[in-house]
Amino acid sequence: MENPEWGILVVNYLFLAGVSAGAFAISSFATYIGGPHFRRVARIGALIAPWPVMVGVGLLVLDLGRPLAFWHLFMVVQYASPMSIGSWLLTGFVVLSLVYAALWLPAPLNNLLRVPTHPRALPHFTRWTPLTPQTIRRARAILAALGFPLSLGIGVYTGILLGAVPSRPFWNTPMLAQLFLFSAMSSGTATVLLITALLGTRHETGFEEERRLLVSTDLVLIILEVFMLIPFLLHHALSTWSSASSIELILGGEFTLWFWIGVILLGILLPLAIEGYELFPVVLREGATRYSLALSAASGVLVLVGGFVLRFVFVYAGQVSHFLPVVAR
Amino acid sequence: MAPENTRRWGMAIETKRCIDCKACMVACEIENQVPLGKHRNWVGHVGPTGTFPTLGLRFEPGNCMHCENPPCLRVCPTGATYQREDGLVLIDYDKCIGCRYCMQACPYDARYFDETRGVVDKCTMCAHRLDVGQPPACVETCVGGARHYGDLNDPNSEVSKLLATNEHTVIYEEAGTEPKIFYIS
Repeated sequence: MENPEWGILVVNYLFLAGVSAGAFAISSFATYIGGPHFRRVARIGALIAPWPVMVGVGLLVLDLGRPLAFWHLFMVVQYASPMSIGSWLLTGFVVLSLVYAALWLPAPLNNLLRVPTHPRALPHFTRWTPLTPQTIRRARAILAALGFPLSLGIGVYTGILLGAVPSRPFWNTPMLAQLFLFSAMSSGTATVLLITALLGTRHETGFEEERRLLVSTDLVLIILEVFMLIPFLLHHALSTWSSASSIELILGGEFTLWFWIGVILLGILLPLAIEGYELFPVVLREGATRYSLALSAASGVLVLVGGFVLRFVFVYAGQVSHFLPVVAR
Repeated sequence: MAPENTRRWGMAIETKRCIDCKACMVACEIENQVPLGKHRNWVGHVGPTGTFPTLGLRFEPGNCMHCENPPCLRVCPTGATYQREDGLVLIDYDKCIGCRYCMQACPYDARYFDETRGVVDKCTMCAHRLDVGQPPACVETCVGGARHYGDLNDPNSEVSKLLATNEHTVIYEEAGTEPKIFYIS
């Protein structure tokens, strides 16, 4: 593998942005289903969402040739540049998800949610008025509604960033945006699934409903991913010479094992099997979801590993793919 | 010389005149102080083709195609890559943040990353020489006379005459980039 211009920092960034987008989306989903059963999912998703993307953006800035010149991104809006649109989108998402996370702070930290109601109270935080529970609930609902499309936008953007480049045939398909979106949603859901499983407390009310929501959502997202990968492979195989040749990188070429073992087996088939096994009694109407910490942890970790390897394969393989014929230099 | 906004700088390369001496690369690297190991222009090899004893080998010199529809410009998030009025695709190094998205977008691999300055760089068609009426360094030095340059809008320019009388192609026409480096074989 030659040294590509976009390396592991970009892989990490795409993955982390996806985790954040997914965590936010599942949180706002849970907020909107409402009820006490899903409050923990909503809270954990909200509390996680801002951090991975912020780390990812940090890595991205470090990857720049001139990290200190990053502010040029925000001097202009380049409508035709996915990276320019993405930079603004990310800024909006980070700000919104930070506020949203604050609104989900558990007691006693929610005591910090205050607004100055009088100009003279401004310098004295203790004199600010705490938000009422009703205001907090309303604010959460509004931000969940605004942030949901924004989080989907982040998920899609990570795919469009690569997909909008015609000179890299491996990337240049509309399927890439959807694939990355579903993978992002699944990664975020798996992160929440993993954390709720680690927190355990089977005694808490709604644990069964919570497992059902998370496991079945993740299962659906993984299946959607499969049905993005199938057209991805088919369209490439049936497309132009450059395009068809580009997927040889994962059909016998240097990324074959990464793709079929890392993405398909570890990231898709094994989690599908585990989550299917967990949900099976529910499907048969014979009882509750099967739950063990080991199973939940395994499926959560496997989805995250698969999501990471997916981005690794796409970022690296895409940069090897090229219009044909290539003239040797 | 016609005013800048009516000029369209382009090149015509007669591949059969190229002998793969790489003088164009050396001239460019000296003229533009290109970092060691990086290149703004190149000499590609096509072949050998055919079966013995009728074998062929063709050389294909190249550099930034200064596309009319440059994909590098489209993806640039800061507007650092821009198209001058005379069609040259250039980089504003103050605005370039070194994200290297343009390098992904260029089908010709015409760009390189200058690690020292942290910016992406490429052929300027020697804009600094064109502006004072001199030919690009690679054209001036070309031993076989393969490289020609001129104003595509001026029917009396060397390139326009060559293109009017010879069949010519561009690289990756299907990409829709409308390159302004034309190949005469």
